[in-house]
Amino acid sequence: MQVAHALVRLWGSPLGRPPGRGAANLASAGRPERPPQAGSPPHKPAGATFCAVVALLAGLLPAASAGQEDPVLQAMREELQRSKSQLKLDTVAAPYYVEFRVIDADQYSAEASFGALRTDVRSRFRFLRAVVRIGDYKQDSYPGSGEGISDFMPLDDDMLALRHQLWLAADRAYKAAAQSLTAKQAQLKQYTVDQPVDDFAHAVPVQSIGPLAKLDFDPRPWTRMLQDASALYKDDPRIEAFESSMRFGVTNRYFVNSEGAVVRSGQSLYEISVSGSTQAGDGMRLDRSDGVVVAGIKALPSPREFVARAAELAATLRKLRDAPVTEEEYRGPVLFSANAAASVFADLVGENVLGGKPGLGKNARTTGAFAASYKSRVLPEFLSVTDDPTISSFRGQELLGYYQIDDEGVPAQRVPVIEHGTLVNYLIGREPIRDFPASNGHGRAAIPANPPGPSLGNLIVLSAQPVSQEELRKKLIELCRQRDLPYGYFTETLGPRLTPRLFYKVWAKDGHQDLVRGAIFGDLDTRALRSGVIAAGDDVYVESRSLNIPHSIVAPSILFDELEVKRATTNKDKLPEYPAP
Amino acid sequence: MKSLCLNTVFSFALGLFLVPASHISAFDQPDHKDDVLLASMQRELQRAQTGLAKLDPAPYFLSYSVYDQHVAIVVGSEGSLVNSTQARLRTAGVTMRIGTPALDNAHEENRNSAIGSGMLPLADDPDAIAHELWKLTYEEYRKASKAYLNVKTDTQVHAEEEDTSPDFSQEKPRTHADYSDPGPAPDAKALEQFVRQYSAQFRKYSYIYSSAVVIAGQQTRLHFVSSEGSRVMAPGSLVRAVIQAETRAEDGMDLMRVETFQAESLAHLPTEPEIAARVEAMARDLKALREAPLAEPFDGPALLSGRSAGVFFHEVLGHRVEGHRQRGLQEGQTFTKKIGQLVLPEFLSVTDDPTLRTLNGMDLGGWYEYDDEGMPATRVEVVKDGILKNFLMSRMPIKGFGNSNGHGRAQAGLMPTGRQGNLIVTSSRTVKDSELRQRLLDEVKKQGKPYGLYFDDIQGGFTLTARATPQAFQVLPVLVWRVYADGRPDELVRGVDIVGTPLAALNRILVTGEKMAVFNGMCGAESGQVPVAAAAPAMLFSEIEVQKRAGSPDRPPILPPPVVQR
Repeated sequence: MQVAHALVRLWGSPLGRPPGRGAANLASAGRPERPPQAGSPPHKPAGATFCAVVALLAGLLPAASAGQEDPVLQAMREELQRSKSQLKLDTVAAPYYVEFRVIDADQYSAEASFGALRTDVRSRFRFLRAVVRIGDYKQDSYPGSGEGISDFMPLDDDMLALRHQLWLAADRAYKAAAQSLTAKQAQLKQYTVDQPVDDFAHAVPVQSIGPLAKLDFDPRPWTRMLQDASALYKDDPRIEAFESSMRFGVTNRYFVNSEGAVVRSGQSLYEISVSGSTQAGDGMRLDRSDGVVVAGIKALPSPREFVARAAELAATLRKLRDAPVTEEEYRGPVLFSANAAASVFADLVGENVLGGKPGLGKNARTTGAFAASYKSRVLPEFLSVTDDPTISSFRGQELLGYYQIDDEGVPAQRVPVIEHGTLVNYLIGREPIRDFPASNGHGRAAIPANPPGPSLGNLIVLSAQPVSQEELRKKLIELCRQRDLPYGYFTETLGPRLTPRLFYKVWAKDGHQDLVRGAIFGDLDTRALRSGVIAAGDDVYVESRSLNIPHSIVAPSILFDELEVKRATTNKDKLPEYPAP
Repeated sequence: MKSLCLNTVFSFALGLFLVPASHISAFDQPDHKDDVLLASMQRELQRAQTGLAKLDPAPYFLSYSVYDQHVAIVVGSEGSLVNSTQARLRTAGVTMRIGTPALDNAHEENRNSAIGSGMLPLADDPDAIAHELWKLTYEEYRKASKAYLNVKTDTQVHAEEEDTSPDFSQEKPRTHADYSDPGPAPDAKALEQFVRQYSAQFRKYSYIYSSAVVIAGQQTRLHFVSSEGSRVMAPGSLVRAVIQAETRAEDGMDLMRVETFQAESLAHLPTEPEIAARVEAMARDLKALREAPLAEPFDGPALLSGRSAGVFFHEVLGHRVEGHRQRGLQEGQTFTKKIGQLVLPEFLSVTDDPTLRTLNGMDLGGWYEYDDEGMPATRVEVVKDGILKNFLMSRMPIKGFGNSNGHGRAQAGLMPTGRQGNLIVTSSRTVKDSELRQRLLDEVKKQGKPYGLYFDDIQGGFTLTARATPQAFQVLPVLVWRVYADGRPDELVRGVDIVGTPLAALNRILVTGEKMAVFNGMCGAESGQVPVAAAAPAMLFSEIEVQKRAGSPDRPPILPPPVVQR
């Protein structure tokens, strides 16, 4: 099916990029600045399983009619059987491991701008990834061209068509693995590796047939909502862009491997967002965005509630436009709301606790900034971090990083990552790193058909000494007074690259706050997080992200003893050359 | 490196799938009085003209083109659906010229600064349409005014150019309102049925290990308004099916057969039995190709079927007579100074005629009423009795050719350049098609060669026109036969590529057949993918050079294909 494959190379989103590493994430929107919180507490007991949510909200195919008879699984098993017993070239070793993964995604997405729909799409597709490993668990043909082959899968449940595609993919994957192993062995001769780790971790094969998710809803109230929300530009002639979008989708995943694992699971994601942009009189570009992403449609705010949030967003754009520019220089205490803190932990902790294996010949433990921090302090002692994909809500708020079995067929595990400030674990899949020989159930793959890698589930940051919001604010003011600073700063929300969006001066004299614009942080990094955080709140914010792989970050508000705040210099544009219509 | 190619397989998708799909109501614009889109475009154009006139530099030309489209693409393989996508979309292009027609922001390599593009709302909401156009317009102004400054600086420091023609032609404003129905929107169910049905035919052939059927349909309404006062509304529609099957020879060579069917509507495609028969023939051809010997490098007489000759002319001559390739430091300019000179054998003439809708009952892919610069399509006599007469002109003038002849074409949202529409090669030295084979044999014997080649089908080709690259072309034949002088049966060979340089190749044509054959395809170049046709009679060449196709070390699949018990 080369035609189809080549066609895909040409397609734009959502089938935009060919499946493979770094390929399009089909269930993602740009990261909303104020991401997902469940609009209202979900109507289900904490800890209810994701599958239950799917069953309740997304519509459900009877599990009994699937199971053994599921044609996709059947085709996968039959071709797997053939591949593992017969796939062999004279001059190449037989595979020691074969896996097939099929992703069946059904998505509805729409986007409105200036009050009218601009796109409105329903798309369904199946992708396949076949991985064949040659060698053994110690050293094999992974990664490189040994990462497997991805391609389209037929949509019809036609045994011959399904198996035909699996057959071709396994054949290509085997040949690619053979080339990869040869290249890798040649390359390894150039390096001395101090402490070699295995290429592939052993795992107990799991059999789990979950129910299939089905996309079944009436799009009309939602597309109406997009139009209503994006029409709010009309109240403000200086708004230059106002857009609202939705992406509702279900993903059914099928996995089989030659070790005996057979896994099927269904997930759903519902995402709505709004974003706007304007320019201040001096040309400074001001952007805001808001969004909600949840696993069940009932956890979404109602269209009316969401339009109200869009109106609120439009109002803050006006306020930002009228706000003064921040001072040139500031070094002192900065308070982060739980919302802003969640973004900080996502970028500075979440990225770095993933146990990505460094490239060939590199002696580092992982690829992240915490590569040399194992058993070292990376946060203040009162903070601990756990990643727990086995729960679906936290303090009544829905979490997006819930799953039972990861994309390598390993059961999800709760992993304490940072205990009392000290890094004690990395999140890993079946690709071992030094001192971590086995998966802890965090090998997840982005759709359409990317190779799996270590990924977040629900990253939960908690303080052993939580303090109230009032207490935190009081501390901020105290610190200012102690240092003769007329004001401190409060960060309510952050945009991309941890740039403040809603950012306030908090006056030491009376505690009142004034919105300012155009600030950036000078030194908000892992070192500041380790040594600069002096208190954390008793509140939590759940930031759910659908980007690449659905996950949630749960964090309290935090107070930095000292951060540098500077005036941004880059985001000034000319004002529009002539007025809006 | 500029590479232009005519490709039967993938191109259609490019145009369609840069944007996601949607499924909204059908067109509903009975006439221009109700055309909210056109009215909104016109109103916003006027507002932009007034708003931008006060600036320095101010634009001297502004146009909006909006492509209101329904598109559908469906892919199938082995009798199953693989993808089905339908979309409604409106792509807008804002063209802006700053400076003077003699020298403006579109000069030389800054040409793309003259256009900006984006998506418009699907609903007829005048406010929303106006807002999107406003944004696109001031963003385009920034790009264009910056480019204009660069152009002014560059011209001060550069030596005088060889061709000092203006950058933009002066044209009369045009008004055209064709609101005729472009036909029903592509019906997803019918397209899905099409791909399932024909892709299932390959199931019985175990040696065809990879195959696919792609069918795409599109209906377009072009809306164009300009500050010169033009107002154009023109429909177009296209259905294009591509059927592809692949196998691999034991030595690793990939062998492919492609059949394409292109027409204005599903109803104009060949009948079901005809298509089914072509699919069966593909399977037979592939079996024969697997067993065929490898071609050897060869230089000698060859007969090209009409479709093959059409592709050959599209690549070798067609791209080189596109107007904008006659100026600019980067272009090879093979034909620039050959006006009035003999470039082909005297018995051959070439026109490009986008006004021609059908030929011998077949729809022509390069038909259109108005080009993408709002100029009416016109028939252009490119070569008359072997003598070069004219070029395919957009509104970019070249020395001696100051005006557009309605060939400014582009994919929605890209900057138009001179492009081919329906390239038609005619001949006054013909023999009956049935006699061509004998003429080939005569030529083979005359040259003392053991055999000549017959090119039955061609999958596509590409050509290089840039100065920095060899002035070469390549066409990719699929079915090539050795025709032996000693009376042996014809022998199919595999792995042949035609290579050569254009001027030499064109002058080795000895005689042609009488029957015109049509090749419809998608043509890709700087201004994107546009549908074209090439029509020609079969042609006998005294000499064609072929090379071996680059090989692949891959083996056929190790395991036999799966067999499913029913």
